[in-house]
Amino acid sequence: MAASIPNDNLTIPATWRGAVPALFAVGTVCVLISLGLFYFTSSEESPDVGYRAFFHSYLANFMFCLSFCLGALFFVMVQYLVRAAWSASIRRIAELLAFTIPWWAVMFAPILLMVLLTNSKALYEWNGGAVIGLSDIVESKLGYLNPGFFTIRALIYILVWTVSARTYFLMSRKQDDSGDTEINLKLQRWAGPFIMLFALSVNFAAFDWMMSTDAAWFSTIYGVYLFAASMLSFFAVMIIICNTLQRNGRIEKLVTTEHFHDMSKFQFGFIVFWGYIAFSQFLLYWYGNIPEETLWYKHRMEHGWQYIGLLLIAFHFAVPFLGTMSRHIRRRPAVMAGWAAFILVVHWMDMMFLIMPNAAPLSGMLIVGHLVCCIGMVSVFLAMFLLRVGETPLVAAKDPWLPDALAYQVCP
Amino acid sequence: MSDHDKPKKAAKPPQAFGWMAEYADENQLLDAARKVKDSGYTRTDAFTPFPVHGIDEALGIKPTVLPWFTLAAGFTGITVALTMQYWMNAVDYPYIISGKPYASWPAFIPVAFELTVLFSAFTTVFAMLGLNGLPRFSSPFFSNPKFDRTTDDRFFLWIDSRDKYFNSDKVKSLLSATGALSVEEVREDDSPTDIPKPIIFGIIALILVTLIPGAIVLNMRVATSGSPRFHVFFDMDFQPAKRPQTKTTIFEDGRVQRPAVPGTIARGELGASDSYNLGYEPESTAAIAPLDGAAKLVSFQQEADTKVPDSTASEANAESAPADAAAGEPNFAWITEMPIAADEELFELGKLKFEQNCAVCHGFGGYGDGLVSQRAMNLAQGYWLQPTSLHEDRIQQQPVGRLYYTVANGKGKMAGYAASLNPKERWAVVLYIRTLQRSQNAKQEDIPTGVTVSAGSKQ
Repeated sequence: MAASIPNDNLTIPATWRGAVPALFAVGTVCVLISLGLFYFTSSEESPDVGYRAFFHSYLANFMFCLSFCLGALFFVMVQYLVRAAWSASIRRIAELLAFTIPWWAVMFAPILLMVLLTNSKALYEWNGGAVIGLSDIVESKLGYLNPGFFTIRALIYILVWTVSARTYFLMSRKQDDSGDTEINLKLQRWAGPFIMLFALSVNFAAFDWMMSTDAAWFSTIYGVYLFAASMLSFFAVMIIICNTLQRNGRIEKLVTTEHFHDMSKFQFGFIVFWGYIAFSQFLLYWYGNIPEETLWYKHRMEHGWQYIGLLLIAFHFAVPFLGTMSRHIRRRPAVMAGWAAFILVVHWMDMMFLIMPNAAPLSGMLIVGHLVCCIGMVSVFLAMFLLRVGETPLVAAKDPWLPDALAYQVCP
Repeated sequence: MSDHDKPKKAAKPPQAFGWMAEYADENQLLDAARKVKDSGYTRTDAFTPFPVHGIDEALGIKPTVLPWFTLAAGFTGITVALTMQYWMNAVDYPYIISGKPYASWPAFIPVAFELTVLFSAFTTVFAMLGLNGLPRFSSPFFSNPKFDRTTDDRFFLWIDSRDKYFNSDKVKSLLSATGALSVEEVREDDSPTDIPKPIIFGIIALILVTLIPGAIVLNMRVATSGSPRFHVFFDMDFQPAKRPQTKTTIFEDGRVQRPAVPGTIARGELGASDSYNLGYEPESTAAIAPLDGAAKLVSFQQEADTKVPDSTASEANAESAPADAAAGEPNFAWITEMPIAADEELFELGKLKFEQNCAVCHGFGGYGDGLVSQRAMNLAQGYWLQPTSLHEDRIQQQPVGRLYYTVANGKGKMAGYAASLNPKERWAVVLYIRTLQRSQNAKQEDIPTGVTVSAGSKQ
């Protein structure tokens, strides 16, 4: 069967690569425009709200793009860990997404510099020398949440992701030339330790970068929440990328309906997992009713954010749960691409819900600013991703599992 | 399949069941399955040692309806769980848990989730068994020893004799042309279908064994025993819970009963210290009668003294000696005005509560001639004190706050009704008592001018 690998067009269209400079330009302009838009959310009583809102929005959109890259990194490693054959033909795209992390991490620099060089409390109230005005609970955390240690940890997380993404991508590329099957065995061996490091780094990155925007609050499940959201958005992104490539005549034979079916099943699974984690966190805090735990939800149950919360229950869980339940939906790539886009929109709302209520009340201008910032950040991300893809083949053609991946069929 | 029920006919050879072809690997099986499907056969099946990708399509097997059973069961599960919890927590036995509303939906979700999974899982398993015609003890295939290898290294294709186009010779030649290792006819299994005796005995024995625990329990219900009780759950029978007024080492002060945490209010006692709930002004009362412990004791003692149950003592007696009565009478700053609107609604509530709680002793008219009292008088028990008539001058002159205090805390032999009547209901009863008093002592000027009073004209 090894001989029967079909010939497919394995590189992205040249015009896409040509769009990279334009995307960079649009991205930069949009982020700057959003800064201007957020200025209008300020008022007499709270003049720094616009500044706060911008940084929160920047972080939310940064995490939005980072989340599916992290999902991609985990996906690649877990495929090796369990020696999955079915995914061999789509794994390269995930490798490329994961390998965009080292570049995308540069976008974290503004936040890191703000923490390191200024005393601004625009994003993190624990930042800055003055202890005055901090609650006891935040003050007791300053040993962990301080600019120096925060920076060191951030660099460690980025290093872990960079090393693992680079290892898996470059080794897989090496196999494209040599066809050496030893590479699979080596990557399988490394998958376990790398996943453990991944779990720790994502968990603590969620604590440090996102959860500490509300420094007094804590939730031990927060990292898992980000992981669930990351995996969900990753499968949504994969479905969209594969569908878009196929519409442009790429990887038409190597990625089959079966792969779409499986990615959709994973997406469905993580819709449920996200709902499970999000509800678990809510239920425990709602039932316990302890002030320092419920404060986070209180912020999200007023000033218009409660509507976003209700929308998430309906559209992040109930609607896609029922909508993508059927096998007949999952086996239609175009329909699933629509659902995947829907998932990305609600995932973006979820990131907004996690981060933005700490900055400002919900308002029309805030949403517009956040949306423009999102367009900017996603444009920059796309530019980086396309630059990373370049002329890399979109399928690892000499992976020994590829024939199995092509013969793969989902049991009905 | 259905032949188990049919009467056996001894001499007749077993009926044809279908044709079975054997293949060495799954690719041959898939090719053969496609040929068989293309020839129009629909009652076919394949038997393989492992799941073969594409066999459903090759054989033309339609997707199963099983998922619909699962979906329906899931929806049933979630509906049952939510309805059940709502009914139990909010309708049948409303009970506040953790200060949450009776119908606290977030708390219902975990159980709803569990029941959804439970219903779907059981339905899926049993519907799967049902759709496959399982369980069954035997199948005609087992009569062919070659078929055993289907769990090991052989692949079988089968065409049922009940197929619309079934023709024994044609099927045989079709299967032979597909490169089968062997093509054999499967015949109905004509071996006895009775359940073997050892199995029946085994089942009966099992049933009997399961009855033993119940029998032991039943025996224990009627038999007596000299040995001490067997404690299955020792710490339930001997709980570490402390009794009131005992010591503990858990708390520094050694007290089992914990004093109220400063700044907290016990459930149902919110606002318990204002005049609406007391019937008197607490601040003014504290000013005129500082009830320290000693004074309280004295007042209790005096009150007790006035109620020495000698045969002649009565409330009327106390009335004739106002000085003595005043000694037992708490010297409080009573409220003299009704603290809530005395309207028709409050009157109706007061009437209801008076007739439910007070009338048995005080009588519907308030003359102290309730049924309990009448009965006691009939029994001629000397120590029975007739309940106070509410129309006595002494009671008529009491301020509403004093009446309220009596309703809440009792007087003499009368118990307090604070546990039965909430403050609003107590005030309603006070209003009704006032109304009764007025009704029995009506004066000409009470009747508003221009109103003609006649029976039945009230409404």
